[in-house]
Amino acid sequence: MTQKISEQTVLLGRRQSLVGIVARAVTGAPPDNPAVIILNTGIIHRVGHHRMYVTMSRALAAAGHTVLRFDFSGIGDSDPRTDGLAPVESCLADIKDAIDWLERDREVSRVILIGLCSGADYAILYGHTDARVVALVLMDPSIPATARYYLHIIIRRLMRLRAWNRVVTGRSRILRMWLEHLSYALRPKGKYGQITLQNLKFHSYLEQCYQGAVDRGIEMLAVLTEDSTRQTYRMQMIDAFPNVSFGNQLKLELFSGSDHSFSREADRSRLNQLILGWINSMNYRDLSLPVRSE
Amino acid sequence: MNPFYFGTSERRIFGIYEPAALGSKRKRAAVLCYSWGPEYLYAHRTMRQLAIKLSMAGVHTLRFDYFGTGDSGGDAADTDLKGWESDIALAIEEIKDMVDVTKVSLIGLRLGATVAASVATKLWKEIDALVLWDPIVSGKEYQLSLDPGERERWHGGPKAAGESAQVREASGFVCSTSMIRELPALNLGDMISPPRTRTLMLVTERFPFHQSLAPVPGGGQSGSLDIEYMEAVHPWIEDPTLTGVVPVGVIQRIVNWLG
Repeated sequence: MTQKISEQTVLLGRRQSLVGIVARAVTGAPPDNPAVIILNTGIIHRVGHHRMYVTMSRALAAAGHTVLRFDFSGIGDSDPRTDGLAPVESCLADIKDAIDWLERDREVSRVILIGLCSGADYAILYGHTDARVVALVLMDPSIPATARYYLHIIIRRLMRLRAWNRVVTGRSRILRMWLEHLSYALRPKGKYGQITLQNLKFHSYLEQCYQGAVDRGIEMLAVLTEDSTRQTYRMQMIDAFPNVSFGNQLKLELFSGSDHSFSREADRSRLNQLILGWINSMNYRDLSLPVRSE
Repeated sequence: MNPFYFGTSERRIFGIYEPAALGSKRKRAAVLCYSWGPEYLYAHRTMRQLAIKLSMAGVHTLRFDYFGTGDSGGDAADTDLKGWESDIALAIEEIKDMVDVTKVSLIGLRLGATVAASVATKLWKEIDALVLWDPIVSGKEYQLSLDPGERERWHGGPKAAGESAQVREASGFVCSTSMIRELPALNLGDMISPPRTRTLMLVTERFPFHQSLAPVPGGGQSGSLDIEYMEAVHPWIEDPTLTGVVPVGVIQRIVNWLG
């Protein structure tokens, strides 16, 4: 089903300070379809790298979903918050504001969060806390390094003189990452400090988030690119969270040949088809409706 | 701040109107013209800050996405420079109506500056002032610089997966055949010699072309050209340490020059 779509500008949040665009089918969208929220990647505003979120929004809207792409506070066209929240808490509060708005203004009861990189991290950090979130599309989320990951990287770099030179001179990124990993591993539980996107992948809290998402029945699609600084094999996400029973709730897709920001149009087109197909295949209609928030 | 769509149902343009925060005796308005492709993405924050600073100085501003770019309607394959010119003209009309002024300032960055200069040669009676921030001097050179590794493909070489006869990709952005045809003909010198309106060219990246330019003093009905060189970061370039840094000195200079 492909419908003609419309796009509308919206101002969200308590101060009407979050700028967003809502895309939806003009007619014929099934009312029980979940809405989709697309989150910022880093400091790139809501259109996304190579305008990928505009085409993604339009494709999902044409398939009958209400789609909101918006800027977090202090990113793109949205004003910074004035309540002094730390960056992670600020973004999570913005996601709640966006879902509240969809629920109140568009009578949406179920939401799918989509994010790439930091956007994926915010999606999992928030998703497990809100019963209205039924699915997550996580593109290159933070995945802790595993022993197999380090082995892959070391084998790849063994033959490169420059890599050895970096180790000797202390400029090796992998060595730094391993030392950081080790320092977190040796800390007593609960002594990790404040969560930031930089330390998230060393944090046991991330594993709790995934388990929380599984417990809530949230479906997850993880799209992993060939960015070897993040992951080197498809099952790394499973190995990295050995205590999480993902079962059938996690679908893993290794996106061969694509870089981290899906630079090629062909990759972006393939990505849209993958996400659309996955969302259409979900049995979200069978899920019980979440309790409406106050 | 007021985000909205304007234009026609076939050509919907996304814009953000920033009303003047300060009242002044004379109403002033400016249209901001973005750069293209990755430069548009990385410089977005800087252009927003420019709009905010102008608003604080009493200037109403409208910044917008060209058709087929950003949040505007259309696909990237629909973009062409002639269309950009009509979008700028439409934005000028829009802010004139909103603010009730007869003339506006045009401020363009990179490719947006060059297209703004072209519009100013045609609509000079409606333009108070023109600011060209590191404008593209030669469309031909610019096209080649988009991605040096892709030079061959730009000139009829093998296409990348997913490319068609109608589009090419440059640094991940789809570029229409019309735009590919139009870019080489773009020559800033033709547009500002002589200047038709009061013009400031702000240069933070020097090219030999700039040596051939001489300031043109204003007088009578003719335009003028001020050329200023400044040291500043290039907000349109992705840089691991500098992306997101706003060149406040350049922004302040623009605000001051517009007076």
